[in-house]
Amino acid sequence: MKIRDLLGSTALALGLAFGSVSGASAWSLKEAAAPYAGTTVDVVFLLRPGYEAIEAMLPEFEEETGIKINIIKHPYENALGEQVRDFVAGGDLDIALIDLVWIGNFAENEWIVPISKFTSDPALADPDLDMDDFFPLVLNAFGGWNGEIYGLPFDNYSGLLFYNTCMLEEAGFDGPPETWADLKDVYGPALTKDGKYAYALQSKRNETQSADSFARVLWPFGGSFLDENFRSNLLSEESQAGLQFRQDLMQYMPDGIVAYDHAETVNAFGQGDVAMITEWSAFYSTVVNPETSKVADCVAIAPEPMGPAGRKPALGGFSLAVAAQADDAEQAAGYLFIQWATSKANAGEYLERGGVPARQSAYADPALAETYTFIPALVESWQDGVPEFRPRFAEWPEITEIVQEWGTKIMLGEVSTVEGAEELGTRMEAVLEDAGYYSGDKPLAQ
Amino acid sequence: MAAAAYTRRSTWTQIALLALIMLVCVFPFYWMVTTSLKTQIVALESPPVWLFEPTLNNYREALFEDGVFRTLLNSLIIAVCTTVLALCLGIPAAFALARFEFRGKKDLWFWFITNRMISPIVLALPFFLIARNLGMLDLHITLILIYLTFNLPIVIWICTDQFRSIPYDLDEAARLEGASQFTILSRICLPLAMPGVAVSAIFSFIFSWNELMFGLVLTRTTAKTAPAMAVSFMEGYNLPYGKIMATSTLIVIPVLIFALLASKQLVRGLTMGAVK
Amino acid sequence: MRGKVSRKTIFAFLGPSVIALALIGIAPLLYALWTSLHFFNLTKLRRVKFIGLENYGEVLTDGAFWQAMGRTFYLLALSLPLQLALGMGIALILHKPGLTLLKTLARLSLVLPMATTYAVVGLLGQVMFNQKFGVINQFLSPFGGGSINWIGDSSNAFIMIVFWDVWQWTPFVALVLLAGLTMVPGEVEEAARLETKRWWTILRYVQLPFLMPGLVAVLILRTADTLKLFDMVFTLTRGGPGSSTELISLMIQRVGFRAFDQGLASAQAIILLIITIILAQIYIRVFYREV
Repeated sequence: MKIRDLLGSTALALGLAFGSVSGASAWSLKEAAAPYAGTTVDVVFLLRPGYEAIEAMLPEFEEETGIKINIIKHPYENALGEQVRDFVAGGDLDIALIDLVWIGNFAENEWIVPISKFTSDPALADPDLDMDDFFPLVLNAFGGWNGEIYGLPFDNYSGLLFYNTCMLEEAGFDGPPETWADLKDVYGPALTKDGKYAYALQSKRNETQSADSFARVLWPFGGSFLDENFRSNLLSEESQAGLQFRQDLMQYMPDGIVAYDHAETVNAFGQGDVAMITEWSAFYSTVVNPETSKVADCVAIAPEPMGPAGRKPALGGFSLAVAAQADDAEQAAGYLFIQWATSKANAGEYLERGGVPARQSAYADPALAETYTFIPALVESWQDGVPEFRPRFAEWPEITEIVQEWGTKIMLGEVSTVEGAEELGTRMEAVLEDAGYYSGDKPLAQ
Repeated sequence: MAAAAYTRRSTWTQIALLALIMLVCVFPFYWMVTTSLKTQIVALESPPVWLFEPTLNNYREALFEDGVFRTLLNSLIIAVCTTVLALCLGIPAAFALARFEFRGKKDLWFWFITNRMISPIVLALPFFLIARNLGMLDLHITLILIYLTFNLPIVIWICTDQFRSIPYDLDEAARLEGASQFTILSRICLPLAMPGVAVSAIFSFIFSWNELMFGLVLTRTTAKTAPAMAVSFMEGYNLPYGKIMATSTLIVIPVLIFALLASKQLVRGLTMGAVK
Repeated sequence: MRGKVSRKTIFAFLGPSVIALALIGIAPLLYALWTSLHFFNLTKLRRVKFIGLENYGEVLTDGAFWQAMGRTFYLLALSLPLQLALGMGIALILHKPGLTLLKTLARLSLVLPMATTYAVVGLLGQVMFNQKFGVINQFLSPFGGGSINWIGDSSNAFIMIVFWDVWQWTPFVALVLLAGLTMVPGEVEEAARLETKRWWTILRYVQLPFLMPGLVAVLILRTADTLKLFDMVFTLTRGGPGSSTELISLMIQRVGFRAFDQGLASAQAIILLIITIILAQIYIRVFYREV
């Protein structure tokens, strides 16, 4: 059954691929790449499923174009530091891998080139590029800054609720919680017993704390990092409600949740110790694979629960953009790779190999939802997410360090939510003051 | 009778304690090696299993797919070069500090030794910026040079002590025959000081091989060292414990063998300058 | 007469290493001094500007900086006495006559922890102290400690750091003290043993004087190494959870290479350097035999 579906989608992907080749007779990747054959393009990749997917597809591209893609792998934790150090040193990277929160930083430093430089070049631009086919929210949030598109969405995530149907049914629930309040008050007490926990929220002191933990409880409760004047909004009633909610919810999470990163959280779910987690779509393949998960048959997926302010799922992901430090040939070759990797034609194969494309057309076939059960929830959350879920301005690397430090201190109970928010607000505003947002030197863009 | 029983009991106690010492020292390595032979699923068993079917997959992947082999080679090149360089520079300096009289000698010695105390992070920041300006990031030579900041003081410290323990009459006699200071160093004192030189070489090598912070900050790909590589497997997405332990084993085993072979000198070096 | 040589000779012998160390040791420090007086953020290199002592003011008044410093000395205060006590015990066991083969094996195994790559110690720590599949909790479970949360709890994480520091460096202390014990002339020790059977008396009045230089060296080196400690903690906890294991060098690394504020990090580094030099001065001038 499953295998037949897979075969079906392979055929579909192949069909799409051939369709696009024959449909665009004037332009071909081979011809476009001909002047750049032999060029080597350096790019940073992460050790994650979406990257392995494209790596597996890469020989096809290299063979057709003669362009060599040199992949330098880094863990996420080091990816920003490595790239910043490469760019300030005028290093070798020809393509930037941009987490959505880095885009303001990279763009303002002019480390990356607006994509229009290439899309306006008929020799390079694939007529089937179809920028409108990207989910607009994803394209703008992952690849855009200040009204300009720099990168094309490549490795795309939305926060989803993964739940263990077996554990939920045993406790008498026939579906997942609709709201965060239900998750805490109804599901929490019922599922936390005998060394098992209702829920786990990855909260380690790194980007996980800011993106997965702190921001996740802020938005659904109507809170936010900043108000419209760029002052801290963390002491607002709504933000405080969110942070307090997280504290209260911790009684239904495993001990030491403050040290949980994605791996620990997904392991806990995969081992059947935790009934529900809110994780990135990219983990789908991990939790349904019997080799990495004991609960593969019990996994179901829903959109993240709603808060008083609605459903505000976590948004994250990476785009690829051409680096300004690359020479002309490398830039062109780099662009061709980005265009190919994010293309409509390749989206099907990318999905099948474990990636999550940001192409609307890739999800058009309703049959896909049977194989990839995360698709409906994913599409729903990409239709109304919060692009500034984490502010994307150039100051984020400094702000996130502050959020990580004080966010974990709040969770550990070293400071109260109010004290923590005060301290966080003061430090955050000091960074923004230095950057010139308050003196009017800089537009209030996030 | 009672005394004999007492002695026997105390011998057994001593045996037990010695065994305990060995166990505590060696057990982490045992665990490292066995974990490196486990698949991910076995490694994540709770409670941990002691008997399982071993696999060499982690080593194969680490060495040939992830490029650990190359980083081991880098580490070796860098450690050997910096050690040789530190000896070439440090031995004459140590000889001068031990044998010559001149103003400011104490301060100079103190300055050399203080370098041993400086936290690498103090140098890592500016060194990164300088290497960036000079275009020297990610080169072997950059690490070879910066490792001198801790290797040179070690060589000077240990060798100065060693030269001072050589009777002065020997070079006096040579000088009467018209030998230059350089000849005295190379012909007379150096052969006698070989134990100290060996000790400081061993230390330089081990410290350089084990260094992480400079390797992390100053290299990216071509000159990446093995410890920096081991750290780069720590992705929050997925912790391949078996592979991390396989890489760790590959890093640690050579240095352990080296340390065991040279253990006599190593112990001597540790205590040199401490016990006199 | 002794040691009088020409300036040229002195320079030929000392010059190369002095110049090398000045170029790689002092020049960067001067550059760090320059950076520390500027607003210097790697991601905002276009806005580099001179700001005088502002970075220093920020460091000196920053509670987090002094907490990290305090944590570093707290680690020293916890682990050094343990290392001394255990090291002394091990040295005495190894000094007892008999069992030559076993003692040689024990001495060899003591060399292993010291030579181990510090970063690997941290990685090993992650594996062995894991709450669920760690072997340490398996050992402890018969005593009711089967599910101790080492990495995720602030005080447990600190205990774990102390454990590994003690594991790695007690052998060093033991071997230094053992070397001291072997310096005690055999006849003196034998005479003392005829007088008394109390090991404590022998240790205090006969052996201790020979151990003093070793103890001083241990004090100096352990202090310096604790101030430098980075690798093991970085790979084990990255300073977490929260800031509970963030030692001074981890903090500076974070500010400089994760928040990219090289100006502030340089100011922190310079202050650390000053503290180090003062300590080294005190230690070496007070305790250590000079040239």
